[in-house]
Amino acid sequence: MTQNIQTIDVPIAEPFAEPLVPPSQTPYVERPHGPVGRSEDRIDGPEKVLGTALYGADLFYGRADCFVSVVRSEPAHAEIVAVDPSAALKMPGVLGVYTHRDVRGTNRQGLIVRDHPVLAESRVLFRGDAIAVVVATSERTAEDARRAVRVDYRPLPVVADMDAALAPDAPRLHPDGNIMGGKRIRKGDADAALAAADVIVSESFCTQTVDHAFLDLEAGIAHYDGRTLTIHVSGQWVHEERRLIALALGLPLESVRIICPATGGAFGGREDISIQIYLGIAAIQHPGKTVALRYSREESMRARHKRHAMRIYYTVGATRDGLLTAAKITVFSDEGAYRSTGPAVCRKAASHATGPYRIPNVSVDVYGVFTNNNPTGAMRGFGACQMAIAYEGMMDRLAARLGIDRLEVRRRNLIRSGDAVTTGQRIPIATAVECLDAAVRRLRQCPPPRPTDPHKSRTRPPALPPHLRRGVGYSVICFGLGYGDGFPDASRARVGVSDQGRIQVFTGGVEYGQGLITMAAQVAAEELGVSVRETDVVWADTEQTFESGSSSATRQTYFTGNAIRLAASELKEQLLDIASKLLGVHPHELELRDGCVVGRFDPARSVPLAEVVAQGRARGYSLEATALFKPRTVCEDFDTGQSPRAFITYLFGSHIAEVLVDIETGEVRVDRYIACHDVGRAINPQSVAGQMAGGATQGIGMALMEEVVNRDGRIANPNFTDYILPTFRDIPPVECVILENDDPGGPFGARGIGEPPLIAATPAVLSAIADAIGVHTHTTPCTPQRVWELLHPDEAAVPPDARFSLAPPHARLER
Amino acid sequence: MTPEADEMVAVELAINGKPTHLVVRPDETLLFVLRDSIGLTGTKGACLEGECGSCTLLLNGAPVNSCLVLAAQVHGGRVETIEGLAHGDKLHVLQRKFIESGAAQCGYCTPGLIMAAKALLDETPNPDEETFFRGMEGNICRCTGYTSICEAIRGAAREWSR
Repeated sequence: MTQNIQTIDVPIAEPFAEPLVPPSQTPYVERPHGPVGRSEDRIDGPEKVLGTALYGADLFYGRADCFVSVVRSEPAHAEIVAVDPSAALKMPGVLGVYTHRDVRGTNRQGLIVRDHPVLAESRVLFRGDAIAVVVATSERTAEDARRAVRVDYRPLPVVADMDAALAPDAPRLHPDGNIMGGKRIRKGDADAALAAADVIVSESFCTQTVDHAFLDLEAGIAHYDGRTLTIHVSGQWVHEERRLIALALGLPLESVRIICPATGGAFGGREDISIQIYLGIAAIQHPGKTVALRYSREESMRARHKRHAMRIYYTVGATRDGLLTAAKITVFSDEGAYRSTGPAVCRKAASHATGPYRIPNVSVDVYGVFTNNNPTGAMRGFGACQMAIAYEGMMDRLAARLGIDRLEVRRRNLIRSGDAVTTGQRIPIATAVECLDAAVRRLRQCPPPRPTDPHKSRTRPPALPPHLRRGVGYSVICFGLGYGDGFPDASRARVGVSDQGRIQVFTGGVEYGQGLITMAAQVAAEELGVSVRETDVVWADTEQTFESGSSSATRQTYFTGNAIRLAASELKEQLLDIASKLLGVHPHELELRDGCVVGRFDPARSVPLAEVVAQGRARGYSLEATALFKPRTVCEDFDTGQSPRAFITYLFGSHIAEVLVDIETGEVRVDRYIACHDVGRAINPQSVAGQMAGGATQGIGMALMEEVVNRDGRIANPNFTDYILPTFRDIPPVECVILENDDPGGPFGARGIGEPPLIAATPAVLSAIADAIGVHTHTTPCTPQRVWELLHPDEAAVPPDARFSLAPPHARLER
Repeated sequence: MTPEADEMVAVELAINGKPTHLVVRPDETLLFVLRDSIGLTGTKGACLEGECGSCTLLLNGAPVNSCLVLAAQVHGGRVETIEGLAHGDKLHVLQRKFIESGAAQCGYCTPGLIMAAKALLDETPNPDEETFFRGMEGNICRCTGYTSICEAIRGAAREWSR
């Protein structure tokens, strides 16, 4: 493998110092003329519709020798007095029971701070903490043996929610106390500006715990041959999993190989390590055997981290004309038992606290609070979606208070190109207004026929029955892509060519349905003048691919797309150089087209790629290239949260939801849905629309039905009977509007799409409900009961004023 | 408790047209037997309690959640799974439309969706909206959203009725 990695370090430019080109006139210098920009069929499509794609649990058949089961904590908070496996070990077919004493490494996991014991040592902090690993000859025996492992606990008081965690006499869940940390932003003087404001609006919001609910349950196999531990499990960042497993289990890095099988969704839920590490423990103990483990839905929901439930206290000040002058925001975020990616979620929440709005004076404090709930970490939206619920809710309230149209208030405050977001970062191409306008234009058009029933007329009935109310809701959001805040963020890619002239792309990124490998093939094929059908992608295998960072943070198109493009262009130089010698034409006068090298000005001069490859091999060319894309962001100032470049680039989007609310039952039906996003350039428009529709569906679920109910440290609904997901009936056709304003640093101008559709969806639906019933919402999800209570505050189970017993400015952030 | 050998049940059934003889435990589901005993892993499990439809297959022509059907119950039955849909290299029209419409992203719900849609269109080649929903609402998709899936099924329906 060649080591001459090419580094392109995008300098920290001063984009705002340059004259701004209106967004519609920022064409990327190179227009793609090949597969980029076309809705190519997914390259993994056939195997997925045929049922031949192999997901984690599909690897069991014919391979699994023995089966693993995980003993989990029953109490949410307890000291472990003793673990007695003797009864389990006596069962026929049980091969072993292993505790932390059998783990040879650090026994620690965690993506940002390794604070979570892989197998609990002296204490368990949530109901689901792993304590021991059982290995047996059958899955059934492993399950029976798991129940037979006796764990004696000394119960400790359960910190069931943030109120309990912040109480003065609360038990300390971590050595530094129950405040995990957080982030603050100080820009201008929020207090003074609020005092001087014409109008002040205050509200508190309460968002729920959400489960990723990917359908493909955690499952996989592992094998240890005495030297190499090979694990086939779906994750989101195979190279980090390798590092983590090597450290935790005490193996040299090169002795761990992770291979990602077909993956049925992730949404952040595979970012933290899951079964990989238990499989590793079991495999090391049973060399030569292939060990297998899969979760049930209940175990999956009990074991996995969740989306942070947040309480958001939001105050804005504005002029009589509706111009925002100040915002003061305090956020408490239920971090659960361990950090997971919580610190980064808090930072992202803070830097997105005011969204795409221009507010000169801002004060934001975000605190992560430890409880004995499931750890909370990465999930699509990553802290930014909770804040969008709040800032869009505030825009609706401000409009209502001032009697100004909701769209007008937004337009007056949305950032324009060259304006700064809350972190002080100026955005050279800000298209928030363009997104909103495009979505509104679409709303004014007649909706397309429903694919579920093309015969049915979509003309609206002239009058609604008396129990139904119609409402329209709007949202506008922005999202900084990548890890941001100075966190190292890089992607590497290798591109080679086979003897037959097929292009081979190697990326460490994970394809979990978002379309990464098709994007990778399109970018490489575009650069090298071949078709996607002539391109193979090898992905997420730590032995065959370099690290490409995680498939998260809406970053793979931008980062890996760039890395592939750089590597492909390096390879192209070699190919043109070889062909130049064969054809006697200067390389600059050659181009790659349709699988041949062709004279740019003399197309008669042409040589097939396979011939170029054969000649290149004979002449000692490497015929492959590796590239690194590693742009820099700037860590924010601790005291002010300001950074000239907290994120590499920003995405904008706007959604519109039309709902019907049944005021007798509180039921909400989404009747029409429009999603508009500026993606820079859509490398595959169909894929982009798919991400928009999928994200919107999850966002509608978050607005209306999805909620993990935590009661005294126990998840009350760890199954799909009680954790409600949107179905065909709940989601209207998502009308997608894709705007393209090229990003100067993106591959072919592309930015990305992953998370923004979810972020924009929830507030649009909430805004529509408020429009329909005339009462603003503050708690998600808006279940029929909550909507009914909004309509009948006197009869509500929980009076609106008693929603939070927690006083906001209660905590202090220590450096 | 592991049952004794004499508690095992012999089952004769046709899987994708192929006569098959199985010996199963009385408490094993059809989903488990197909996937783990004979390696037909195209049918997926996701909730394992009949809520999500990922494990949908056709039993005697009707869609069932195979996670809720005991293998011992299907003696003499006719089972169709996703593996039996294509003819060699030629994709079934639903499979082709799912690719063309971008209706399979992560692909995990896809086999169940395609089998449910086949059952729907076999019964009603040109369903109205209520029939469409009744046929498909038992299948959950978490990542693609339903727009492109509806388009794929509707596209297949257009060719179906021809």
